[in-house]
Amino acid sequence: MTRQHTNLQHKVHDSPEETKLLAETWYSPRGFPGWFTQVNQRMIGRRFIITGFIFFLLAGILGLLIRTQLAGPEQEFLGPELYNQFFTMHGTVMMFFFAIPVMEGFAIYVVPLMVGTRDMAFPRLNAFGYYIYLIGGIVLFGSLLIGMAPDAGWFNYVPLAGKEYSPDYGVDIWTTMITFIEVSALTAAVELIVTILRLRAPGMTLNRMPLFVWAALVMSFMIVFAMPAVIVSSTLLILDRLVDTQFFLVDSGGQPLLWQHLFWYFGHPEVYIILIPALGMISTIIITFTGRPIFGYTALVLSVVSIGLVSFGLWVHHMFTTGLPQLGMSFFTAASVTIAIPSGVQIFCWIASLWGAKIRFATPMLWVLGFFAIFVIGGLTGVMVASIPFDTQVHDTFFLVAHFHYVLIGGAVFPLIGALYYWWPKFTGRLMSEKAGKWSFWLAFIGFNVTFFPMHQMGLEGMPRRVYTYTAEMGWGDLNLLSTLGSFVLAAGFGVTLINAIWSLYRGQPAGANPWNAPTLEWATESPPPSYNFRHIPMVESRWPLWDWQRSGERSVVTGLSHWRREVVLTSVLDATPIGVQILPKPTIWPFTSAVAASSGFIGIIFHPIFFVMGFFLVFFTLVAWFWPRRPWKEDE
Amino acid sequence: MRVLEGIDVAAMKRLHPDRRAPLWWGVLGLITIESAVVLAFCVSYLYLAAHAEVWPPTGEAPPLLWPSVNLVLLLLSSVSMFLAGQGINRGNKKQLAIGVTISVVLASIVLVLRSLELMAYDFGWQEHAYGSIVWTISGFHYIHVTSMVLGSTVIAILAWRGYFTRERQIGVVVDTNYWYFVCIAWVPFYLLLYWGPRIHAG
Repeated sequence: MTRQHTNLQHKVHDSPEETKLLAETWYSPRGFPGWFTQVNQRMIGRRFIITGFIFFLLAGILGLLIRTQLAGPEQEFLGPELYNQFFTMHGTVMMFFFAIPVMEGFAIYVVPLMVGTRDMAFPRLNAFGYYIYLIGGIVLFGSLLIGMAPDAGWFNYVPLAGKEYSPDYGVDIWTTMITFIEVSALTAAVELIVTILRLRAPGMTLNRMPLFVWAALVMSFMIVFAMPAVIVSSTLLILDRLVDTQFFLVDSGGQPLLWQHLFWYFGHPEVYIILIPALGMISTIIITFTGRPIFGYTALVLSVVSIGLVSFGLWVHHMFTTGLPQLGMSFFTAASVTIAIPSGVQIFCWIASLWGAKIRFATPMLWVLGFFAIFVIGGLTGVMVASIPFDTQVHDTFFLVAHFHYVLIGGAVFPLIGALYYWWPKFTGRLMSEKAGKWSFWLAFIGFNVTFFPMHQMGLEGMPRRVYTYTAEMGWGDLNLLSTLGSFVLAAGFGVTLINAIWSLYRGQPAGANPWNAPTLEWATESPPPSYNFRHIPMVESRWPLWDWQRSGERSVVTGLSHWRREVVLTSVLDATPIGVQILPKPTIWPFTSAVAASSGFIGIIFHPIFFVMGFFLVFFTLVAWFWPRRPWKEDE
Repeated sequence: MRVLEGIDVAAMKRLHPDRRAPLWWGVLGLITIESAVVLAFCVSYLYLAAHAEVWPPTGEAPPLLWPSVNLVLLLLSSVSMFLAGQGINRGNKKQLAIGVTISVVLASIVLVLRSLELMAYDFGWQEHAYGSIVWTISGFHYIHVTSMVLGSTVIAILAWRGYFTRERQIGVVVDTNYWYFVCIAWVPFYLLLYWGPRIHAG
């Protein structure tokens, strides 16, 4: 490939007619009917991100209400039923409807741009996944508005979640909708894997792939191997609840612990599914704001991969108090401590990258530095709870609540907000205000620590999770009040970013193609990118293509793709040599109809099993319509 | 900045009948996901069995004959699917159409036999955990055979209409791969459900 590159040295001339034709070919239909047919990856990615943040806002409000209830002893602000629904929904929505979809949304938007292509491998599947997610989210959150929300905790343990103790529709909605939206996570994962492996710009070998793309790849593989376990466990629970199977009922030979094993076999990797893309975001931001190549690229890639692998061997550490055999528990303790090694490698590589660099302390970089402080504390308490005696002491107390909020908010949300500030100019063409960004960061950072640090102490003093109130004699009132005050400061911090984002759409400073002087391909095209992403598919010769081009003053591109048909270059898996051209589909309504057909089945089975059969055949017919070859067939050749 | 022509892809192929096609990888992804589901079902079966005092609760393993016949039929249908693909690789549209049709017929026979066999079970899924997991695994595989029969019927219709050619056959390739998966997925279920209790008891 590079041989050809040296032979041909023609300058590329862009004719305006051809560019116009290309823009029309990749055009996404606008307006209300158009919304149901769009398939372009940037449209779908943007929807995932916006919808994800709406769920973040809603679940955040639930969190504030929970904190308000706990602000003082013996309050009756929410009452036990509503409190149970609120903490269940807070956890469920944050994990399943915010964290995973928003991370996938960033990957869907950014990865194709970073690898220099025009769309994802299966654009229609992408759209399908989004509709599934949207419908599932609306149904689940809708259940709260009619007072029928699930209330058995975000991990929905049996027997509490069984029919005997939770006879209402709430847990039915939880089990069906969780199974349902995992479909969306899985489609996005396969989509990302194939896009990353097959659609990279010529010359972008695996060894030159941006670290965020690596992170997205590892995240996707983890989703593929972890999600099926939660699909199986929630399917078994649906069957127990709807058609009287006996999987989790002890009297007839069922095993409640089977739920915990299957759930945590998914649930532990899930935490890392959220963390790993955030690690990729951090590396990306550090490279850009230090303005030089990152220290230990290979070490960073290997540690992300090994975090992904080791995280599958940790699930039992959520079950230390269930009375499992000693040897098994020791294994899982060892594995839990092991994960500190690759995490440490990451941190040290980043420190080495920051060491002696001229760091620009722009807002994205601040959020990354905030991550360092918070995540290290969360990691330390993680090592503490990996030891069985300590875990037995603090199990189901606020110490755990403090620990996982440090890991999840520190490890995922802070980098995510940093990444939002970082890629915002690419998404919208305008920069967010730096001043408001810094206010937002400091409010969130201080608010976060004031909210969650006291929880360590509350946990050590014995305050249990998931209890709607406590008596004044326990002496937990002051710390709880402090924590509640902190939570409003934290919320204000995120609120400033929300206002900043909306304000910047109208008043933000125009960004230009590459406002941060970043080295990766998404900054090689306009902001926001045109419908076809890149006028020409770029070619890559190192990990830092934009910096190369600045030095040499010239760059090579791919030519010969059609202007009247959606075409992208297929490259080989390891070294990204062009091996063909793939034609991608145009906007279509069928993914939407398939998603509606699937949701009719999933929602229907809560009321009667016959809806499963109906949904099955409806999905089949819509899939046939989706894949049926369109005449004239000749067009393919 | 000077923009140079690095590589011209105008002459490259647009149709890929093999693993160059993204769809080939997409279906591989689907198969990987479903394999993880199969594994989770097998583990659930073993977990329940390991914690039971008597497994199955009646002490009797289910009859072996018809599941074994199904295994043979499914493997045969994979062979006819394979031969159908060989046909279209040589551009023989007729061999493709006939091969896929034979596979669909064989798998339909499996569905009939499975229905009869399940109806003859003297335990329901409501009775005990053993019944639940056996019926769930059976139902899971039954639905998959139904899906592949329906999907391949569409492929057969298109094949009889002459849509597929040597170049334009990625639909056949991915359908065949999925077919292999559904047939092979029966092997662990067959061993677990029908041989497992025998070996355990024996």
